[in-house]
Amino acid sequence: MLTFLRRRALTSLVPLLAVVLGVFVLARLTGNPASLYLPENATAEAREQFSAANGFDKPIWSQLLDYLAGVTRLDFGTSLRTGEDAATMALRAFPATLQLAVVTMILACAVAVGVGCWAALKPNGLGDRISGMLSMTAASVPDFWLAILGIWVFAIMLGVLPTSGVDAGGASWVLPIAVLMVRPAGVLTQVVRGAMISALGSPYVKVARAKGAGEGRVVARHALKNAAPPALTVAGDLAVGLINGAVVVETIFGWPGIGKLMIDAILQRDFAVLQAAVALTAISIFVLNIAIDIGYALLDARVRNKSGATA
Amino acid sequence: MNVNLPRTTGAVALIAALTMTGCSVANSGNSGGGAAGGTLRIVLPQEPPTLEPCEASLTATGVVTRSNITEPLLERNPTSGELEPKLATAWTQTEPTLWTFTLRPGVTFSDGAQFTSADAVAAIERTANNTTLACNVQGYVFGQTGKLTLAAPDATTVTVRTEAPDPLLPLRVSFIEMTKRDISTTEKVREPIGTGPYKIASWAAGQKLTLTAWDGYWGTKPAYPTAEYQWREEGTVRAAMVVNGEADLATNLGADDGAGDTAVQYPNNETTALRFTTDQAPLNDIRVRQAIDMLIDREGIITSLFGGLGKPASQLIGPGVVGYNESMTPTTYDPAAAKALVDAAKADGVPVGTQFRIIGRTAQFPKIAESIELMQSAFAQAGLNAKIEMMDTSAQLKYQLRPFVPDAGPVALMVMHGNQAGDAAFTVGQYFATDGAQSTGGNAELDAKIKAAAPLTGDERQAAYADVFKTQTDAVRGFAYLANMEAVLALSKSVDYRPDAATGDEMRLGDMKPKA
Repeated sequence: MLTFLRRRALTSLVPLLAVVLGVFVLARLTGNPASLYLPENATAEAREQFSAANGFDKPIWSQLLDYLAGVTRLDFGTSLRTGEDAATMALRAFPATLQLAVVTMILACAVAVGVGCWAALKPNGLGDRISGMLSMTAASVPDFWLAILGIWVFAIMLGVLPTSGVDAGGASWVLPIAVLMVRPAGVLTQVVRGAMISALGSPYVKVARAKGAGEGRVVARHALKNAAPPALTVAGDLAVGLINGAVVVETIFGWPGIGKLMIDAILQRDFAVLQAAVALTAISIFVLNIAIDIGYALLDARVRNKSGATA
Repeated sequence: MNVNLPRTTGAVALIAALTMTGCSVANSGNSGGGAAGGTLRIVLPQEPPTLEPCEASLTATGVVTRSNITEPLLERNPTSGELEPKLATAWTQTEPTLWTFTLRPGVTFSDGAQFTSADAVAAIERTANNTTLACNVQGYVFGQTGKLTLAAPDATTVTVRTEAPDPLLPLRVSFIEMTKRDISTTEKVREPIGTGPYKIASWAAGQKLTLTAWDGYWGTKPAYPTAEYQWREEGTVRAAMVVNGEADLATNLGADDGAGDTAVQYPNNETTALRFTTDQAPLNDIRVRQAIDMLIDREGIITSLFGGLGKPASQLIGPGVVGYNESMTPTTYDPAAAKALVDAAKADGVPVGTQFRIIGRTAQFPKIAESIELMQSAFAQAGLNAKIEMMDTSAQLKYQLRPFVPDAGPVALMVMHGNQAGDAAFTVGQYFATDGAQSTGGNAELDAKIKAAAPLTGDERQAAYADVFKTQTDAVRGFAYLANMEAVLALSKSVDYRPDAATGDEMRLGDMKPKA
């Protein structure tokens, strides 16, 4: 298993590095931040001073080398906007996103497993068709529209939830999580349903039933366990998407997470913060992928054994 | 399956810990209040990047800092246009190049230190003369003045000597927020100490900024002991927060953001316009520019897209600004006449079908994209070929400010200009002069008139700048003006506040009080 993890870690480092370097180069292609940070009629001399003070006057490869040298010392630079350490800003915002993603995924998985299993028990029945339609819709509804609709219905019309922010305690979590979990719950429900239909029709389930096992035990102990690996893979991808893509929801709800930090950094050409936020997100996705692999290996002995055999 | 127990336990513990901490987000904290509870809650479109006083001409900073945390020596009344005393009680032009300011006695900073002429000198020096700090105010207000020579003959007197006679000096000084003499002159200060009615209590970056009133304020004690600022990007969410009772005041709303009966309308000093590159075909022919001007259905855009907020514009400044030309009227929407002008230009060999770009800044004002689409459609019907490009601020600024994007081709750039200073000098030099920082047109006659108007005062100044605006339109037509804009904010029924033309840049908490 250790060898497997080592190999997985090494192969994951390549895309991690590519993302970090890609963001560095792409950010600089968007232009010199001097136009945003200096007065509209600042002199050319003042712009040159600004560029020199922040290293933007150097060739991009030289800036990249400086950046990488800093990264090796865990120095991601300083925010142009606030003067704060960029890594500190990213680390401060990250827990808010992580909490949102974890709670969302737990709830999305619970809904998906419940509805998916129920639908799979009677394929093409009325319940299956309704859940299929709802899950398809849920998987394709835009976050932005759903967020605004949620605010309008639950905050304005019904007045039962806050519109946004984090001040209202648990109530603050309801709308962001509800909006965020719709798509993963929809996608996962379809995956669980498909995998469960396949598992429930497999010989070992028939054997279990023949031995007199109750339907609940058949579903939970036998079919679900075997249907879990594909669902876990998809859930992993969706979780990655949540960490990476909660941008819209965080922005609308004023959620102080890494997605909002990235948007602010992009709009303000705050390169150091953008790079730190992307690096932290990439690392977390890297760790999450490793965790998914571990989960997959724990669920599927063939993966464990294969990895051991190739060691 | 043989699952390793400690690993499982660890994973469960991790998930449990994360889930349980779900009750509180990083940087969060509960706060009660509301206007009735003594806390005024304001929601803005963006977090101030800094509260550095010398950046107070940046809207996001000034709206929080100005006259709340820090104060200037004098300030311009947004309604009358007159300068009024603040930390200075009097100012006189004692020589053609020398102005003397008399400071208000008994003023203290929120940390208890006395405000003296030494502080005022240091603040003016830091803001107006310090090019290393590159403050926004330095470039915007003092970019053309040359170096100021400052002195403090006694504790309540400040003298400012200019390189040339400058009738606008007190107005320029009104842009400088007073800070302590020991403030850094090499680095910007994010959380300053000022003489204003409020001081910074806490700033949870990315989430909330709280100000508290302090007892030693020299002026009238504000009605609200605490003010909380939050920021939400979406106008609909900002409006919903006030409608829902989560905030007391929300700014920068569009007509259809849903503020309902909490909406309050006010003029905001901004004018929108298309600015042409006048040296690139087909925009290098004045008939084509005149045709474009005639093809803008100002009334239609204001009515259908702006929800009636705004008035058709005839020049780049609005009424009330020194130099506004009352005799000019907005260009009439006349597609037939515009088509005739385009056809005439075409007959003379002007390549009117050459594509030009209409460049706009995303979210610069509500419905900007729809406004530009409407214009493009009208241009096409007259035989012009316009392509729309929407950009974010940084990308758009490359077309708005010198040095412009090289080889950009013909561009009609959507600009929005706000003259908060109330004097045309802050507009015409940068937009109309041939070498202006934001100019892509102009001619020698206009340059001479702009230069001649600068040292004038009183009625002569008004007439000279009014003539500059007329000359620009008649002889250059470098702009097609759209609207003198109006703004909307949402205001709780429990708060008494009357926004004015300066509200977008300076929102004084002291002017807000609970309704009886």
